[in-house]
Amino acid sequence: MSESYDFLFKFLVIGNAGTGKSCLLHQFIEKRFKDESNHTIGVEFGSKIISVVNKMVKLQIWDTAGQERFRSVTRSYYRGAAGALLVYDITSRETYNALTTWLSDARMLASQNIVIILCGNKKDLDADREVTFLEASRFAQENELMFLETSALTGENVEEAFVQCARKILNKIESGELDPERMGSGIQYGDAALRQLRSPRRAQPQGTQECGC
Amino acid sequence: NEKLKEGFSSGSVQREAKWIKIIDQWDRILSKKSSKVRPCQKGIPASLRAKCWPLLCGAANRMKQHENLYKTLDEQPALQSWVDVIERDLDRQFPFHEMFQSKDGHGQRGLFRVLKAYTQYQPDEGYCQAQGPVAAVLLMNMPAQAFWCLVQISEQYLPGYYSPLLEGVLFDAAMLTWVLKKTCPAAHKHLQNHGVEPLMFATDWLMCLFTRHLPFNTLLRVWDLFFCYGVRVLLQVAAVLVRRVLGRAEQRKQCQGQMETLEKLRGVKEEVHDEDDEFIAEVRFRFLNLIGL
Repeated sequence: MSESYDFLFKFLVIGNAGTGKSCLLHQFIEKRFKDESNHTIGVEFGSKIISVVNKMVKLQIWDTAGQERFRSVTRSYYRGAAGALLVYDITSRETYNALTTWLSDARMLASQNIVIILCGNKKDLDADREVTFLEASRFAQENELMFLETSALTGENVEEAFVQCARKILNKIESGELDPERMGSGIQYGDAALRQLRSPRRAQPQGTQECGC
Repeated sequence: NEKLKEGFSSGSVQREAKWIKIIDQWDRILSKKSSKVRPCQKGIPASLRAKCWPLLCGAANRMKQHENLYKTLDEQPALQSWVDVIERDLDRQFPFHEMFQSKDGHGQRGLFRVLKAYTQYQPDEGYCQAQGPVAAVLLMNMPAQAFWCLVQISEQYLPGYYSPLLEGVLFDAAMLTWVLKKTCPAAHKHLQNHGVEPLMFATDWLMCLFTRHLPFNTLLRVWDLFFCYGVRVLLQVAAVLVRRVLGRAEQRKQCQGQMETLEKLRGVKEEVHDEDDEFIAEVRFRFLNLIGL
């Protein structure tokens, strides 16, 4: 099946373990809650084409392991990400306190220009809330992040989070603030011909020999 | 009818008898470094795995040396921060396996005890999420020795795999690049061309010892080999998996691009059967080849 899209954006999903990163991704792609899920070791992937301001955008999403010790491994996934969902759990102060570290990782390892949306997940568990909406939105403002509270369980604001982040990136491309041609921008043009023209290495025929093993 | 049965199973009965003999003479075999342990080629009979794995990996010995240690750790409280993290993960291990389904079932409870004890035994390392599925498979096979097997795996077989910096994983991911280059050059080239690094697809494979990526019976046979030969088996299995997915030119043609290649690698489980003799033979063949390099 050939897919047609105008742009391809690389996205990251980052944040502490157990905040629901994989469930957000699953809800976004499958439109349902993933009830029984393994914790992510290393990285998982997903992709989906969405329509944003008359453009078809393919999101290529890298869902990373949250446990701190995986950082030495997950660093290699950050390169060239255009956008990120930075996730914490509204019922866990600890996951909120870790945001600054995640943020500096993303800006340092992906790109200074990475567009980040802060997601306060598990919105459905309001009774157990440890982080107020106001507090988080202030943090978002101070750090130039967009902000939504989401629920991977009910699906509330999940699609919106991805769409808003993509829309901001598109705006930045249109205003010239982001240059898709720049190496490591995390953005590619969708048109295959154009892509091949611009990236001669990809136009080469791939090796046709059998694996010699 | 009985005779027929006997005929069918005679191979495995013989194999079992052979293994029972090996177990009986374990100390002598080990001291002589005899090559008798080799029957792992055909896999350890299922009925004897619980006995063999702890002997092979040295867990049985450690248990003897530290007779009451696990019991003591088990009775003492652990650091609450570790307890919280472990508890959160308990229902995320083999959620479809009967043993681990219920919150207070013996599977989840056993898992908690083993993982908690490890954080007390090795406080500098604590708990790594990838130890969960490994401990779960150990518990399925030999609940009483699971803790000491986990210790042996984490300390002797895979040092640096679960520690705070994961230096062992980083090193072996780099090794895998080398192994692929040597044993499967076309696939290696494909990965390079598309910017796919082993850390992107093999972190989970290596750290969880393929628990999530191989059909169960084939997984057990891979572990048989692993307990005999150690970490190189993991690298060989990884190489064979890559080759199953990207070994042929038409397979590589189907996945032009980084994400396409990663998707393909993620679906690797479909390329391996349960009781996949051919797969195991390939792993062993590659393994011998690698020694020859």
